Amino acid sequence: MSHDFPLKTTGTRNRISSATLAGDNRSPAGFAVSLLLHGAIVAGTLFTFSHTLEISDQSPPVVPVDLVTIAPKTNVRASAHHEPRIAPEPTPPVPKAMPAPTPPPPPAQPAPEPPKEAAAEPLAEAPPRPEPKHKPKPKPAAEQEEKKSFDVDKVLALLNKVAPAQQAAAPNARSSARTVRGIGEQTAMTADLQDALRSQVQPCWSPPVGAPHPERLVVSFDLFLNSDGSVAQPPQLTADSQTAVARDPFVKAAADAARRAIYTCSPYKLPADRYQEWREINPFIFDPRQMLGQ
Amino acid sequence: MKLAARFCFFVLALLAIQCGPASAALQVNVNQGNIQPLPIAIPDFAAGQSGDAAVGQQIAGVVRADLDRSGIFKPLDPRSFVDQLRDPNSVPNFANWRVINAQALVPGSVTTNADGTLRVDFRLWDVYAGSEIGQGKQYHTAAANWRRIAHIISDEIYERITGEKGYFDTRIVFISESGSLVNRKKRLAVMDEDGANPIFLTRGDYLVLTPRFNPTAQMIAYMSYYSGRPRVYLFDLETGRQQMLGDFPTMTFSPRFSPDGNKVIMTLEQRGNSDVYAMDLRTRGVSRLTTDPAIDTSACYSPDGSQIVFESDRGGSQQVYVMNGDGSNVHRISFGGGKNGTPVWSPRGDLIAFTKQAGGAFRIGVMRPDGSGERIITDGWEDEGPTWAPNGRVLMFSRTLRGGHGSQIWSIDVTGRNERRVQTPGDASDPAWSPLIQ
Repeated sequence: MSHDFPLKTTGTRNRISSATLAGDNRSPAGFAVSLLLHGAIVAGTLFTFSHTLEISDQSPPVVPVDLVTIAPKTNVRASAHHEPRIAPEPTPPVPKAMPAPTPPPPPAQPAPEPPKEAAAEPLAEAPPRPEPKHKPKPKPAAEQEEKKSFDVDKVLALLNKVAPAQQAAAPNARSSARTVRGIGEQTAMTADLQDALRSQVQPCWSPPVGAPHPERLVVSFDLFLNSDGSVAQPPQLTADSQTAVARDPFVKAAADAARRAIYTCSPYKLPADRYQEWREINPFIFDPRQMLGQ
Repeated sequence: MKLAARFCFFVLALLAIQCGPASAALQVNVNQGNIQPLPIAIPDFAAGQSGDAAVGQQIAGVVRADLDRSGIFKPLDPRSFVDQLRDPNSVPNFANWRVINAQALVPGSVTTNADGTLRVDFRLWDVYAGSEIGQGKQYHTAAANWRRIAHIISDEIYERITGEKGYFDTRIVFISESGSLVNRKKRLAVMDEDGANPIFLTRGDYLVLTPRFNPTAQMIAYMSYYSGRPRVYLFDLETGRQQMLGDFPTMTFSPRFSPDGNKVIMTLEQRGNSDVYAMDLRTRGVSRLTTDPAIDTSACYSPDGSQIVFESDRGGSQQVYVMNGDGSNVHRISFGGGKNGTPVWSPRGDLIAFTKQAGGAFRIGVMRPDGSGERIITDGWEDEGPTWAPNGRVLMFSRTLRGGHGSQIWSIDVTGRNERRVQTPGDASDPAWSPLIQ
């Protein structure tokens, strides 16, 4: 065995070798114990993590809302906007009824002429003649005045009730002071970026209609953008789309239409501080099936 | 030691998994757009010589009108152009065209050759990509053919943008109507797809109906009451000669050519029973395709000639049926309600257009050859007799105004968009679209 050789050399070596020998002697059980201990530590870490989550139920974490501030569709005000409270002012009373009924207002729509073709098309039903609109009748001045003042007060009172409620609720919608990100640079939520890009490119995208197989017109690109939102290089079709474009002229027309949309609506307004998240869009899919009724 | 190293590696791997993979590029799926015509700038074609300027303006004007009529393009007003292209063969300054939101640009030039013929050049540019779509083309033709050159250029642009053939270099044969309702004069007429160059082929001394082009657009089959007997005739546009198609003792009507042009399929009435027959134009041999005692008529071949769609009242009401080219396997395909007739198979084979009579009105509809996907695409009082553009994208049809006062030809996209009236000299009905002129 190898441990016999150091014992026959020097004392120092012997001590060292003894230690080594001792280590060797406990190696099977020691490793097992070490394994168990390390495993216990890892398990303990996991259990501790789970336990922390349970505790956190008692105090719900504040959900940051400032991740959805760039998309027009999902734009949420980051902090409460304090509007000045509307106070009742001695404004002129709002007229409740229409102005003086003379001259009488013309009818909104001229009455349709009776169908001359009734004889030729007996099945066609004549549209019902619209009922004449009720003309507002002038009311006694005293009654009008009473109603005006009553209504204004009521409306303003309602406004006074509603406004504080809104202001009280607004602080709960205030965003956190910092943006919370996940681990790593590109693992933050990107739904807002998707919405932002989608909503900006949609107005420019006019897919070809009337093609024989609209379900085949789905194309996807690999797109790189500059930090100012402009197109960094010509959009590249993905491999599948390249094959489809080469095979079908209608798909080629669909790809050209999508490419025009990408260019026409650029540069895109996206948050500069998150450029790494939208620097590359892949796949950038243009799917007209829903539009074309497929 | 090895075991310890493996264990450490295992722990690290576990931690790496817990951290999760880093996401790559942003993924975006766009499924809503904004269907709108493509803004296209078509400046007047540059003149090679001083005398060519007028032709350059005319050609560009026809191209603009063609593309505008399609509904797919929106030609921009030349007065909005901030750049005047002097040399159509040089790369344009795209920034000058982006400011007016042009997405495509068509510079061109016209030059009269020494022999008096015209040389017409054009290119198609993608303004935002800054690249040429397709290659520049050059045409040589007699000066009188400038309109056809314009239509051919329109077809080129249409095909490069949409991926399908155009339909501007085509002709329409139709029935021109004049006179009072009781003394109606109907003449066979033909014109360009844009309504230009109308020509009357008959004088109106006798009634003519249902004209149809052959696949080369040189021959027209139609039904005429010439000499008082309703028969199917052929009209040769090249020579102006007419001939009766078969000398049948009874009425023949509703003719239509087969896709290869070698046959004419038509209805022959005998003792009150109308059936579909096919005549071979080379041998003049006739074969009977339907035998039902009902009225079978308005037959039309599928683009590959393997099937025939026709209308029949064998089930009690007028409906659309499909059978094989030899008359076998007859089956009804229209189940969408009302009466359905005058079916026409799309040149690209994916749809059948027809006239639906329901709710006191006649409207144009389309459905798949198996009868599914029925859509009504017009909403007139009496729309009937559809005919397909050669690309299967656009339809023309007759529209009788409410009460029967006047008859017009209208066109509509197969999607139901872009309904427009076709310019005709006076009242017109029963249009038939030619194939692309060759």
